[in-house]
Amino acid sequence: MTLQGLAQILASGLLMGLIYALIAAGLSLIFGLMDVVNFAHGEFLMLAMYATFGIVVATALDPVLAAPLVVGAMFVLGAFVYFAVIRHAMRAKANIGMVQVFATFGLGITIRGLAQHVFTPDYRSIQTSFLAGRTLDLGGVFLPLPQLFGGLLSCLSFVALYFIIRRTDFGRALEATREDAGAVALVGIDKNRVFALGWGLGAALVGIAGSVMAIFYYIHPDVGTPFALIAYVTVALGGFGSIFGALAAGLLVGIVEAISATILSPSMKAVGIYLIYLVVVFMRPRGLFGNL
Amino acid sequence: MIMNRREIIVGGASAAALLGATGVRAQQPSEVVIGAVYQMSGASAQVGVDAQHAFDTALDVINNSYDLDLPLAKNAGLAGLNGAKVRVVIADHQGDPQKGRAEAERLITREKVAALIGSYQSAVAVTISQTAERYQVPFLSADNSSPSLNRQGLKFYFRPGAHDEMFSKAMFDFFDALKQKSRKIETLALFHEDTIFGTDSANAQQKLADERGYKIVTNIKYRANSPSLTAEVQQLKSVDADVLMPSSYTTDGILLVKTMGELGYRPKAMVAQDAGFSEKALYDAVGDKIEGVISRASFSLDLAAKRPSVAKINEMYKSRSGKDLNDLTSREFMGLLVLADGIDRAKSTDGEKIREALAATDIPGERTIMPWKRVKFGPDGQNLDADPVLLQWVGGKFVTIFPASAAIAEAKWPMNA
Repeated sequence: MTLQGLAQILASGLLMGLIYALIAAGLSLIFGLMDVVNFAHGEFLMLAMYATFGIVVATALDPVLAAPLVVGAMFVLGAFVYFAVIRHAMRAKANIGMVQVFATFGLGITIRGLAQHVFTPDYRSIQTSFLAGRTLDLGGVFLPLPQLFGGLLSCLSFVALYFIIRRTDFGRALEATREDAGAVALVGIDKNRVFALGWGLGAALVGIAGSVMAIFYYIHPDVGTPFALIAYVTVALGGFGSIFGALAAGLLVGIVEAISATILSPSMKAVGIYLIYLVVVFMRPRGLFGNL
Repeated sequence: MIMNRREIIVGGASAAALLGATGVRAQQPSEVVIGAVYQMSGASAQVGVDAQHAFDTALDVINNSYDLDLPLAKNAGLAGLNGAKVRVVIADHQGDPQKGRAEAERLITREKVAALIGSYQSAVAVTISQTAERYQVPFLSADNSSPSLNRQGLKFYFRPGAHDEMFSKAMFDFFDALKQKSRKIETLALFHEDTIFGTDSANAQQKLADERGYKIVTNIKYRANSPSLTAEVQQLKSVDADVLMPSSYTTDGILLVKTMGELGYRPKAMVAQDAGFSEKALYDAVGDKIEGVISRASFSLDLAAKRPSVAKINEMYKSRSGKDLNDLTSREFMGLLVLADGIDRAKSTDGEKIREALAATDIPGERTIMPWKRVKFGPDGQNLDADPVLLQWVGGKFVTIFPASAAIAEAKWPMNA
């Protein structure tokens, strides 16, 4: 393989990895906050893509400009899902973990079914972005602008997350609620409010990913499933609840996927990812950056 | 679409009442039920939805009277069964062979279907055909193209359309014809998904390439529904073969074309194994990027020039679905007609009798909406006279370019000079 080919594979893997990390970040945030794995995460991604598509079709806005609206809507959706579903699932007296798993799993299937009914199972795609189809050519290494833009947004999101968690009252409340949800009530923090904001933030993060992906990917009621699978392994690989673990693991997954598709065979590319995960489980079961 | 089905059920019921009133022999069924097993949810659900419209169109032709030169069009219902109406029950296999087996079994035992039709994905057709065989109920494979299906040694399996070896043979005949016109075609790149459809297609192409002296420079088997195809396209780009030959369903096809654009890869020519490359959704999404792509097909709208019923059936289908008939929906429509014709001639809903009638099928090509010479099944249930065509995507529509007998225009070759 030429040096140029190698550079292309690494660059593509890195860009895809940033997207994977962004999708996983929301999942990891919610898990870290309240030990709930959101099995409707892929459906959140799908809804964000449809929302972007809908806004673009209805208003002829560029999807890049539609993104803030989508992210806002996803924030509201996330908070709503917490109040409408998760809060009730958490009231279970026994097997609380299982109840949460099935509640989010059922939610995911419901959303997907409704999406198929409302949006039809036809494939959609956005043609009109000023980024669409444009590519940066760095001496034979091609970097598609939509993915570059996605990578940049992903980096910015992680920087913003860092500040939110480390520097704001909300971040401190988040950390404190994660430590001991019972004790925070004593200092006047409403745990429901923190959880709802956490779900909103988690959904907003996947909303960012969805609004960028809508530019370069096809849109379909089932589109979230393969991405959600990768997000689960990314979260587990990076360490449950560690947001920056998700970033590192997302990049790792993107690069390992690209390399194993090239060296082994494209049909084996998922094998590389799960192999690494198994090695990590063997060496460090809490994940690379897990501290739980 | 629910309305349509309801209308059919109501139609069937009123026909039953009518027959009861006129004192028809009691043992004659007033309604014949056929089970259709398709993916109605999940990644390829649109195929199932479109298939349902195709079946509704076929039922309209069968159950009502039309002046069309097609089997069962003239009189309403099945004459062989005293005008019994045909009804289709749809089951969802979700793209999963095991669910396909379960649904086929349920249709046979609970819904008492006289025959089965299906199923788009060849992998699911394997389990459906085996279940049908076990219960001695005919399975008509309307739109599956894997050649291994008719080689399972099944007696109740029938396929009026071509399989991928026949389709691939047409592609290589086309290459040979181009070579005789001294066009350069030496190297091929195969790009196929990893289920039975993609692997069978690639095996057939590999075999034909070896026999006819074409060099396969890369043979990429990729995971279906991949989140990214960058590494795969990178490999295709680095070998830059004379012809890129994808065997992909719609999702992967869209992603392939988008990724090719992003990585600056313009294949010299593309000859696709149908599936995603016959779907409107793919051309809506990325058609402008692959002007000149060639796909094998069993159907083309410009056939209307040679088969008068094509235009009328297309109009009937379009009023239901909002789309033109395509390679899949045309075969689904025709498949149900062939199956119902068998039941009509069997004069019975007994599995073995229908099987015998289907085995004796002989419908001339002019009485179909397909480019086929005729419908006549071999002992393995395969129609060997299902001539495929090659279509080229030019200026936003498909034009038949091969074989010469069906061609409307000369092929533009290579697509990216």
